[in-house]
Amino acid sequence: MNPHAYAELGAGLAMGLGAIGPGIGLGILIGKALESIARQPEVAGDIRTNMFIGIGVTEAVALYAFVVALILVFVAK
Amino acid sequence: MKKGLKWVWLVVVVVALAGLFLLPGGAKKTLNVAGEFELTPIVKLPAVGPVDLSINKAVIYLWLATAVIVILAIVIARNLKPQPGRFQTAVEGLYALARDGIARSVMKSGVDTWFPYIGAVFFFVLINNLIGLVPLPFGEHHQLSFYTATANLYVTITLALFTFVFTHYAGINKYGVRKYVNSWMPTGAPPVLRQFIFVIHAVSEIFRLVSLSVRLFANMVAGHAILAVFFAMALIFQSYLIAAALQGASVLIYLFEIFVAVIQAFIFAILSAVYIGGALDSGH
Repeated sequence: MNPHAYAELGAGLAMGLGAIGPGIGLGILIGKALESIARQPEVAGDIRTNMFIGIGVTEAVALYAFVVALILVFVAK
Repeated sequence: MKKGLKWVWLVVVVVALAGLFLLPGGAKKTLNVAGEFELTPIVKLPAVGPVDLSINKAVIYLWLATAVIVILAIVIARNLKPQPGRFQTAVEGLYALARDGIARSVMKSGVDTWFPYIGAVFFFVLINNLIGLVPLPFGEHHQLSFYTATANLYVTITLALFTFVFTHYAGINKYGVRKYVNSWMPTGAPPVLRQFIFVIHAVSEIFRLVSLSVRLFANMVAGHAILAVFFAMALIFQSYLIAAALQGASVLIYLFEIFVAVIQAFIFAILSAVYIGGALDSGH
């Protein structure tokens, strides 16, 4: 394999492995938010707002993996 | 009559599918996803020092978004009615989301001072993201193509820098430099620990800037790359049949991208509000 093939392999691994953690995290986050909305529907608006803040912060981790994959494919040639 | 029409439709669909299966794939060109995000100057302008002022498609998309927002605001403000029509209701709903759902729900103080910025950044990012989902003739050889200015790291980092500067301006304006910097550290802790926490806080402030800009940029790039891949299935598989079968999936992806465009604008605005509100109420 030439070095560039390793870079592309690494990009795929970075995206795939980097998506595991945020995936689990988002599942827990949204599940808990739905649980608390079901328990207390009167504060659903507040919970939803805070849930979106959490989603934004959690999802950024996967996007770092995406950016690293982009750098591996297009920049580190 | 109605039953006959049904049969006609069935025959048309069968013939079309058979034709698609027998025909060879589209133009024998390979798909270049990265090429969708390359910026080539459309109007070449002289550089001022290290800054290249050439007008490329990102600049045109930014102008378009600005024009859409200004025209929308003027049209809405001129025709305000006590009994709102559909259009006015939609814009009022978005305004209420920006004011009550974003600014008032996360900022304890300073909503009246900072709502203009939060609302402006919400509408700017939202309109920019949504314009990216309209095919416009700025592609290769003036083909219709998707591009969005927010899929460009320079645009998002500029927007994030606004939030970064306004956050610290708000804190310093309210507390003064000394008190604001002191509010980063816990009172009554040993000096070594205080310095350590100060460094951690300073690094986290920088990373807020990075994450705020990279989040929007990477979301838009990923969304448009997926759109490009799905719309170019004929090029990848060299067969019209697979491409036709996957057009349903590309419509679903397109709908999901509309959702992502709204959510990303919402998250950008709400995190800006959280950061500015945090600086204003950091007297702990």
